[in-house]
Amino acid sequence: MVLKSLKYTLKTALTTTEVTRLYPEVMMELPANERGIHELDATTCIGCGSCARICPNSCIEMVPYKYGNPLKNRKMQFPQIDYGRCTFCGLCVDECPVSCLKMGKKTEIAGWERKDIVYGPDRIAVKKFSEKEVAELEAEAKRQAEEKKKAAAAAAKEKAAKAKGKENKAKAKPDEGGEA
Amino acid sequence: MSAIQSAFPGAVLESRVESDRRLWITVDPKRLVEITQFLRDKKDFDHYSGAAGVDRINENLFEVVEILTSHGAHQVVVLMKVKVPRDKPSVRSLTGLYWNANWYEREIWEMFGINFEGHPELYPLLLPDELVGYWPWRKDFKGYPDTTTGERAIEQVGPDGYTEFKIMPHTELIKAGVLPERPKYPTFREREEAEIKSDSEMIMHMGPQHAIVPGPFLLDLLIEGERVKKAFLDVGYIHKGIEKIMENRTYLQGIVYTDRMCYLASITNNEAYCGAVERLLGITPPERAQYIRVILAELSRIQSHLLGTGEFLTLLGAATYSPFQYMIIDREDIVYLMESITGARITHTFVRFGGVRNDLPDGFADKARPILKRMRERTEEYMDLLHSDPIYTRRMRGIGVLSPGDARRLGVSGPPLRASDTPYDMRREDPILVYPDLDFKVVTRKAGDAEARVEVRLEEILESIHIIEQCLDQIPDGPIQEKLPKKIKPEPGEAYYRVEDPRGEMGIYVVSDGSEKPYRVKVRGPVYAYMQALPPLLEGAYVADVVAIAGSMDACTSEVDR
Ligand code: SF4
Ligand code: SF4
Repeated sequence: MVLKSLKYTLKTALTTTEVTRLYPEVMMELPANERGIHELDATTCIGCGSCARICPNSCIEMVPYKYGNPLKNRKMQFPQIDYGRCTFCGLCVDECPVSCLKMGKKTEIAGWERKDIVYGPDRIAVKKFSEKEVAELEAEAKRQAEEKKKAAAAAAKEKAAKAKGKENKAKAKPDEGGEA
Repeated sequence: MSAIQSAFPGAVLESRVESDRRLWITVDPKRLVEITQFLRDKKDFDHYSGAAGVDRINENLFEVVEILTSHGAHQVVVLMKVKVPRDKPSVRSLTGLYWNANWYEREIWEMFGINFEGHPELYPLLLPDELVGYWPWRKDFKGYPDTTTGERAIEQVGPDGYTEFKIMPHTELIKAGVLPERPKYPTFREREEAEIKSDSEMIMHMGPQHAIVPGPFLLDLLIEGERVKKAFLDVGYIHKGIEKIMENRTYLQGIVYTDRMCYLASITNNEAYCGAVERLLGITPPERAQYIRVILAELSRIQSHLLGTGEFLTLLGAATYSPFQYMIIDREDIVYLMESITGARITHTFVRFGGVRNDLPDGFADKARPILKRMRERTEEYMDLLHSDPIYTRRMRGIGVLSPGDARRLGVSGPPLRASDTPYDMRREDPILVYPDLDFKVVTRKAGDAEARVEVRLEEILESIHIIEQCLDQIPDGPIQEKLPKKIKPEPGEAYYRVEDPRGEMGIYVVSDGSEKPYRVKVRGPVYAYMQALPPLLEGAYVADVVAIAGSMDACTSEVDR
């Protein structure tokens, strides 16, 4: 009997390939859809806050961050994730309307204090704009905003004119930025 | 249904036949016991599957839902409701009819304050003594300490210098009759005094921290010499209040919490919850998604059985051929397969309402087949090994025998029940997903002892492999997600959904009130039922066999306490 179990032991020892992992020298191979630390594409995030709303543990907070796209993300608010609470459930990733939040293969998180494992947008962003690009985009945004304002003002004027023309119609409100 | 109506005219207040497997009836509280007895004796409802309380605060009512089914005689699940007024809630206890109603009623009592007339031992099960009387599952529960009045715990420095924080019991409230006199769980000293009758007896602790236990629970054994005379079990050390948390989360967020009830069965827990919500929403997932869910459920069964068996063998001291390490090595392959689908190793959060989170990765079948083949060889190897090991057989054969009758009476399910010659498997009894299209057999054993339970588990691994292989052959192409409304808001209603967990019958009961959040979620877990059956099973056993018996149940305290 003992021999039999030893036979199996030997068989396993001889046929099974290496079992012990060489972590941390060699990380095990992770599958493609591993749910590890988040990766944020700051160039496309629109700052809608869907991810923050769906998170079951309220670990996402929207914080200001510079290197995003001011054209799409007017208030420049990006998610910051508290890994002390995150359960890596992936709901935030599913919920993101522009698919800019993903989960990557990095899984190691460590910090001396709790605040060290609160990752701001700068730490989870894998794609962001450089300072120069941001400045350009900002200028662009400003220009667009100005145009919009002008357009809005024009529209308002037109409306006002129309309203004056048709006095029987009740107060026409200038619709700010509506058509722009 | 009509049989009940004709036998008890006027007692059935409301009824609804949801399908040929679900029957909802509301009965007169006064005649509950009679009707239940009729169902048990005349209609073969011999399995008491659980009970849930619901606080209908708007109607000023409490509901108690008793879930009755049969061990194979037919497949109808009766959900029998009784409604009692909120100010003096009291229901007749069913413990006289079904032995295992005990814990379910105790839990409802401590959570809702619904009294059960005729219950033998109404003291807290999951909650600490000082929380009794706050009735935390009621909808008007304000938090503990009361978040609205800001009442805080009082700091007390004991004689030994330790500081304790205590909420003072409301003596005035008890006197005024608002809160009941709190029946206390006996302390160790009290129990010693009450139970020890002679010099040859003593009480031995196993747990809350003990090498045999899969999580913290207390097993006090009253022993005389080498024999266990009586066993006392106390659970609730890791009560997390998941049911209440889920009431405060949206439907979608609730999936995350079902994972955490038992990490070895997270897929099946997901499945049970999503299935119940799907019934509420009235959707069925597309076929491909159903196949993916079956594949994952079976993979999770394999890994759970491997871990459970391996751990158990280590407890028995099977060190010569170290089966635990082997099983962990094999389990790693299975976990890797699951990880390649879901992206997480144990807490998957993968099943969605009407579908799954993502599709199978490319080349999954090619990767899975060799692993499953190897797994089959290894499992056969284990079976051969264990079978031919005289020490193991002597240790296990005839230990902790559950006769079929007892097993049914105690309300256990899953492998322990099937090891007692009762082919009761939710995949057959209450078929879900594509299980009816698949070919598998329900593994049973006659003996009902610890050895049979392990054998059933190992053979179920083979069956699961067989199921997965069929799925891989048959899986169609197509969508994996049914169209869902933007906001998940089921119509007011309720649903009960059962799946076969690796450990047995897992049922989730969801009540919706038409809002974004579930009104009530009740989890009926398989391990809860095992745990309840443990003390009678241990009586008369040798102390050395306690490990063999308790371990062969493959318990998971986290799910008991939720
Ligand atoms: S993975 Fe889950 S827990 Fe983590 S941030 Fe996203 S939603 Fe929140
Ligand atoms: S990451 Fe996605 S969901 Fe979150 S704020 Fe940005 S765009 Fe919205």
